Amino acid sequence: MDTSNPSVFVNAELLRLYVGRRVRAVIQVLRSDGGVVTGKSTDENQIIVKGSPPVPLSNFVEVIGIADTEKSIRAEIWSNFGNTFDTHTYNQLCQLANGEFKHLFL
Amino acid sequence: MYGSEFDGSAAFSGGGFMPSQATQAPDPSFSTSKNRDSQSLLPLTVKQINEALLTSDDKSNFSIDGVDVNNVTLVGRVCNRTGRVTDVTFLLDDGTGKIECNKWVQEFVDSNEVEGILEGMYVRIHGHLKGFLGKRSLNVFSIRPITDFNEIASHFIDCIYVHLYNSRLRKLQGVGVTTQPQMPNSSGTPMMGHQATSVNQLSSQYGNVGGQKNIEQMVLDFLQLPASNADEKGVHRDFIAQQLRVSVDKLMLAIQNLVEEGLIYSTTDDFHFKSTING
Repeated sequence: MDTSNPSVFVNAELLRLYVGRRVRAVIQVLRSDGGVVTGKSTDENQIIVKGSPPVPLSNFVEVIGIADTEKSIRAEIWSNFGNTFDTHTYNQLCQLANGEFKHLFL
Repeated sequence: MYGSEFDGSAAFSGGGFMPSQATQAPDPSFSTSKNRDSQSLLPLTVKQINEALLTSDDKSNFSIDGVDVNNVTLVGRVCNRTGRVTDVTFLLDDGTGKIECNKWVQEFVDSNEVEGILEGMYVRIHGHLKGFLGKRSLNVFSIRPITDFNEIASHFIDCIYVHLYNSRLRKLQGVGVTTQPQMPNSSGTPMMGHQATSVNQLSSQYGNVGGQKNIEQMVLDFLQLPASNADEKGVHRDFIAQQLRVSVDKLMLAIQNLVEEGLIYSTTDDFHFKSTING
């Protein structure tokens, strides 16, 4: 039982609040150049993810890692989420998990 | 059998065939909720489990938002998986925290199930929350890989909803007494409303009803009354006819149809009948 190191649900906008902390985000992959993946967050803004992406990379990917700047994540864990994903619902969840119901998550 | 102490709601509350809400309909103050709530399956985050209160009377019982926690469902990633011959242990990381999980492998289907669970995989688990020496862990009943990743967001939204329901809506209902238990009555399903009907209401109500098509419903309603169930032998057809004020011929037609539908059955002889619903 350990809740000392949670990973926060974030979109691009919320990422700014967690620089240096552990976060998780779902991105739609736009470009992948070696260790740098540019993706569209669930709030439609772009973020950059660094690390070692899996091959192949699906359209939607969840990354878990440390927010190293306001617009980038150093990913430790990559999970392919397939080629279709409900980004709207996920984005709503990001907002709920950082707002009114934060105490259930952090 | 039950004499004058027969309590319809108590007698039916455990019946396997009764719709659950209907047992609450006749008497809002009668509470089956404690029993049912303790058996319910709660969607939770690890953070919530970590903060769950230990109820004082029993050291293995937890309470979250005022509800006893027994069976839970979580969604997260599998970490530190260790497989043994008899069991599999792993940490479930749902992003809010990590919790130890243990799945006993007893049968072939179990080992099949756990062999498909790999490190790093997203899974949905159903299990029992237990506390031992201050450590909280899950005794897993079922573990299933997630194939549609929308289930992750869906699970956490479930957690939020259930938290909201248990912490706010339930309290509101407690003050105004029962929004929910009244719903079955308004739904108008004949099966559900029957217990609210008293014998007095019944005769006046049936005095106004005519036509063959309603006789079946009348017989069914009559046989489902607690009074009709008090005797194991059921009710004699002449008595039904007399109470419902219909001729025995018409009554037997209706009874025959109901027997064929499996809604009632004859008991010790061909003249006594009981409803199948209340056993």
